[in-house]
This record gives sequence, C-alpha cells and structure tokens, in this order.
Amino acid sequence: MDKKSNFFLRRIHSLLAIIPIGIFLLFHLSLNTTVFFGGRETYEAVINFMKNMPLVLVLELVIIFLPITVHALYGLWIVYVAKNNALNYKYGNNWAFYLQRITALITIVFLVFHVYLQRFSVHEAEAVIDSLTSILHNPAFFILYAIGLLAAVYHFANGLFTFLITWGVTIGDHSQKICRYISLGLFVVLGVWGVGILTVIAGF
Amino acid sequence: MANDDKFINIKVKRQDGPDAAPYWEEFNVPYKPNMNVVSVLMEVRKNPVNVQGKAVNPVVWECNCLEEVCGACTMLINGVPRQSCAALIDKIYEQTGFGKQIVLAPLTKFPVVRDLTINRERMFANLIRVKAWVPVDGSWAIARGPRFADREQRWAYIISRCMTCGCCQEACPNVSNKSKFIGPSHIAQVRLFNTHPIGEMHKEERLDALMYEGGIQECGNAQNCRKVCPKEIPLTNHIAFMNKETNKYAFRRWRYR
Ligand code: SF4
Ligand code: SF4
Ligand code: FES
Repeated sequence: MDKKSNFFLRRIHSLLAIIPIGIFLLFHLSLNTTVFFGGRETYEAVINFMKNMPLVLVLELVIIFLPITVHALYGLWIVYVAKNNALNYKYGNNWAFYLQRITALITIVFLVFHVYLQRFSVHEAEAVIDSLTSILHNPAFFILYAIGLLAAVYHFANGLFTFLITWGVTIGDHSQKICRYISLGLFVVLGVWGVGILTVIAGF
Repeated sequence: MANDDKFINIKVKRQDGPDAAPYWEEFNVPYKPNMNVVSVLMEVRKNPVNVQGKAVNPVVWECNCLEEVCGACTMLINGVPRQSCAALIDKIYEQTGFGKQIVLAPLTKFPVVRDLTINRERMFANLIRVKAWVPVDGSWAIARGPRFADREQRWAYIISRCMTCGCCQEACPNVSNKSKFIGPSHIAQVRLFNTHPIGEMHKEERLDALMYEGGIQECGNAQNCRKVCPKEIPLTNHIAFMNKETNKYAFRRWRYR
C-alpha cells in the first residue's frame, strides 16, 4: 500500500464505529435503563457509581472521546466527498446511504450539546439529572433531543449493516438482506428504548 | 401512413466542446414503431432542425455495436444511465406515456467531449492500474493453461460481460470529482482476474492497486451500482468479497513486514 492511501484510515474509521463506540452506545443505553426501575434515586446512584469508577477520566478519553472525535472528523470528510443522488436513484439502500450521512451530521451536533450540557457544565449527579429534566420538560426541546437520539441510533444500526459488508462478513445477497432487516429492527428497538428512557426522565 | 402526425419529442443537453457551456435543445422526430434512442438520433442527424425550425449542427453521440455489448452509447435517458441502443422508444413510452418528452444528457461523471459524447478514458486507465488482464505473453509457445473450475466459471463469466460502460460509476455517489474512486466495475474485475487460474499468480499486485488511493475503501455501500448495471453483475457481492480479501491481505502484508 502506498503511503498516500486512505485504506487504513477508512478501515480504522469503520472499526472504531463498533469498537468501542457502538459498544459504548449500548452500554450507555443499558445504564440509563435503570430509570425504568427505581426512578430518580436509582438513576442518581448509577451516575455516582459511574463518576466514581477508577480511572474514569482515562476511560472517558480513550473509549469515548478520542474514538468519537476521530470517527467524526474523518466522517465529515467522507460526507463531503459523496455526491448524493437519492432523488435520482430512489433505491432503499441509496436512501439509507444518504440518511447515514444526514444522521451523522445531526449526531455530531447532538453530541456536542449532550456532552457540553450533561458532562462539562454540571458535575454532581443531581445537577446532571436537573439539567436533563429542565430540557426534557420543554416539549420542543424534548423533540429535538429525541431527534438527536434517533439519529445516533439510526447511524449505529445502519452502520452495523455496512460494517458487515466493509469487513467482508456478509457477501451474498441473502446474508446482506437478512442483516438489512436486522439493522432496521435494531433501529426500531433502540429508538423505542431510547425515547422511552427520555420519557421517563421527563417525568422526574 | 397512420403515424404521420405523431412525433417523438426529445430534449438534448448539448455542449459544443469540452469547455463550452451546456444548453438544452429540443427536436421532434416522426414516430415509427420499434425505434430506439440511437435511431431517433440518426433521424435528427438526417434533418438537424430543432423545434423552433432552426437548422442546427447535428447532435453528436457515440455508438458502435448496437447490441449492448460495447457500452459506447451510454447516456442519461430520462435521468437514468443506460445504453441508447438498447433503449426502445415504445418501452419508454410504456412507462411514461405515449409522446412524453424524452430527455437525453451526457453522463455527468466523465468529461464531455461534445453533446452526448463523453471521454471514458479514466475507466480504461484504471483498468490498467488494477492490471485487469492475464499476463501470458512470452517469446515462446506455451501449452494450454489451467481452466476455471466450473463452479467459479459460472459467476466469473458474468463479471466478464462488463463493457466498461460507466453506468455503475455514474450512479455511485462516491464516484465524484472530489474523489479518486476507481468505481465498482473495477473491483469486480479484480475479483475476476484474481480468480483466473493464471491471473491468480499476480493477485497481490491487483490487491495492492485496489488498496491504493481511490481504491475499494471509498465504497460506502450505497449499492446503486448493482441496480443500474445493464449486465446484471452483482457488484455489491463482489465488493463485499474483495473487502474481505483486501482486509486479509492488508493484515498479512503487515505481519510479514
Ligand atoms: S455500493 Fe459502493 S461502489 Fe456501489 S454505488 Fe454504492 S458506494 Fe458506489
Ligand atoms: S459493471 Fe456493469 S455498469 Fe459497470 S461498467 Fe461494467 S457493465 Fe457497465
Ligand atoms: S452501441 Fe454498443 S452498447 Fe450501444
């Protein structure tokens, strides 16, 4: 491979999306699921537990911040390079491809706000939940927040489908089609799950 | 004649030279059954008068085999890249309605030479880059080489029907002037020649080329290529397979370094 080639970068970009970012997303959603059981107190306890984890800063940096930043920055370049044509070629997969790029941009904006509001501007568990509820009590902000979350979840679910092709796991039509359905199903499940969490928090 | 008063109305995106500004021009051609886009353009050439009644230069386009095997006549017909020799007017009307205007434009991912003629040199240069051939030339006679196994021959034959027409490149969102992507067709060609019993001996060279700048990594799985390929080459399957091959190869090459 020539030094000029972006082959390696593209593959790293793809890998980071699942390991660790995708896994972190699932972990994040799972932790938040505690809001369904035990309400605000449990949630507070969970946030405290997370914040007191040993080496939490290193973990945040290595597992979350760096991979997402690298994926997002190189992803912006990929978005820029594509010449989208979903209106000319109205195939399902082409729409998915276009949506993958749109949700990428929405997710970046969402994450910037999400991280700023819930991570950098507040620190105590109680304050974190307060900052969340103050947003989610406003219907307009609730919708914006839900859109951000759905975008992130779509980007992950559809990304899983393309990840399997990029790594040569699904090669034939049948396996690709099955994974297309699984990815759609995953989007619906994660979407309902995530918005459910938001709804519960909005009720605090 | 019964069809005397019926016309085929075409709107052509024209351009007088590589750097000239494009413009649209409409022509009416008397309708006859069983025409294709090429025969309509031939009628325009016989009588190059536009709908305003003005005599103009005849429309320039390319065609050769007239049976969808050379790819020279590829253009956008109502926005879809396809071979104009295989685009039957009656079939188009079945979809759009009789007499509906048919819009012809040159492919957008290639430099325009004039009117509907484009320059596909980039595709040929990229075929050279990925070494899409079997190197058997020598100065002495050699015996018959090994043959494709039957189970491989079945799908490999389908790839060999590729005519470098550019439809897949046109439809691919990742082939653009902002990227150097060699395009889906060439990824399939590498699989074809890497499967060939003799071509296989040089497979690393082709994999190297496939991972070079603008290589397979530029594919974003929009999968349009496969939908528009007139030769029905399942490009997306070949891309996925070559993804696996290049990943494995990249890893191996790195271990041996
Ligand atoms: S699958 Fe890849 S090569 Fe085919 S149209 Fe999509 S991006 Fe282009
Ligand atoms: S793969 Fe199909 S669409 Fe692409 S150049 Fe070959 S024949 Fe044309
Ligand atoms: S003239 Fe050869 S494909 Fe149309």
